[in-house]
Amino acid sequence: MFWTVTISLLHGLSQSVQLFFLTLLFALPIGLLIAFGCMSRFTPIRWLFNTIVWIVRGTPLMLQLIIIYYGPGLWFDNNIWGSGRMAACVVAFVLNYSCYFSVIYRGGIEGVPVGQREAGQVLGMTKQQIFFKITLMQMIKRIVPPMSNEIITLVKDTSLARIIAISELIKAGESFMKSAGITWPLFYTGVFYLLFVGILTILFNFIERKLDYFR
Amino acid sequence: MAILDVQHIEKHFGATRVLEDISFSLEEGQVLAIIGSSGSGKTTLLRCLNFLETPDAGTISVRGELLFDAADPATQRENEIRRKRLHFGLVFQSFNLFPQYTALENVTLARELLAKGEKTGEKLEDIREEGKALLAQMGLSDRMGNYPHQLSGGQQQRVAIARALAMKPDILCFDEPTSALDPELTGEVLKVIRGLADKHTTMIIVTHEMEFARDVADQVMFMDGGVVVEEGPPSEVFGNPKHPRTKQFLEKFTG
Repeated sequence: MFWTVTISLLHGLSQSVQLFFLTLLFALPIGLLIAFGCMSRFTPIRWLFNTIVWIVRGTPLMLQLIIIYYGPGLWFDNNIWGSGRMAACVVAFVLNYSCYFSVIYRGGIEGVPVGQREAGQVLGMTKQQIFFKITLMQMIKRIVPPMSNEIITLVKDTSLARIIAISELIKAGESFMKSAGITWPLFYTGVFYLLFVGILTILFNFIERKLDYFR
Repeated sequence: MAILDVQHIEKHFGATRVLEDISFSLEEGQVLAIIGSSGSGKTTLLRCLNFLETPDAGTISVRGELLFDAADPATQRENEIRRKRLHFGLVFQSFNLFPQYTALENVTLARELLAKGEKTGEKLEDIREEGKALLAQMGLSDRMGNYPHQLSGGQQQRVAIARALAMKPDILCFDEPTSALDPELTGEVLKVIRGLADKHTTMIIVTHEMEFARDVADQVMFMDGGVVVEEGPPSEVFGNPKHPRTKQFLEKFTG
């Protein structure tokens, strides 16, 4: 029984892990773009992006997931997702997480002293050079702690995918309650989360140490 | 012909008038010291010369070429401003070294980017060699591989001077280069600046070090309340100040 459960949970884990990495893959760069939008000198753009961030951060991810997956079918009679539950889920997660990331990026960028940018300007650097060669690295150093928090939250948020019937880890564990009348597989899922987060914690500590060469 | 000619510069921050009708010129190889109390507009003037602030009125010319005219937006295009900045170098009060780069990388970064971006044909190796030579000139041969946080304030400021020199500016500006330093570290920085003056580097130095200004400068400008109150050779301004406000200011230093 233990092995049957473990294999089933590993299957659920693979769904969770897939969602986790796809979300990061898209939300990390999109978050940066949203951060630029929120800091734009052009007022309508700034207003638009701040409103998006407000709406996305102001409503539950669960609700966003439901709207994105069921919305097109309900309101436009056009279920664009077909059987692609995972695709819908990734879209909802990317939208949600890129907004959270954007706020972290923004804090990181604004935390770099203005004198750094001015030093680059005086040396004749272009805006792009100043961002990529000066600001970016200092921003990354600043955002590692808040980012690691957010990314660890993402690990556990993947369990929300069950709302649209994706067999992620928790759903896989819970299914044994119904089929075999046992509850321990559900608690067993916690071990997988702990291991996953443990690996991430080691990774973040490693990155923090790597960035310790400058202050 | 003067290397720098500044005419009728004005700058306001909202309703506050920070610079009022500033005009002066500077000959090649000369050192201009700008003195005055805090809030007199000295730093803003330097920032205007380096295009970190845009003057509301006036013109700036270098070697007879009109770089900036407040009345002509064509002289204020972003991309051109970037090139025009290269006529000036600026050493900041708080150094503003890039923390993630070594001393040598701080010195060479901008030149390397310029060489790559504009295809100037400069070899990266030559830029590095020049950077090393500049740091050696600053007495930092053994510090090239250190990161800024591993250096003392005086060493950091000397790296910042080398970084500014690496761009070969026509005019090197200093914004209170020793004000953020512990007293025992100001000497090493002033010595370096003195060395540059001996080599006839054209410089504008905003400073509170009166003795240093008197020694090194060819011209001294005393600013107060956004205007130039008095200007002349140091022997005149320090030895025989004409304006009561200059006298009052200098008395605070002689005690």
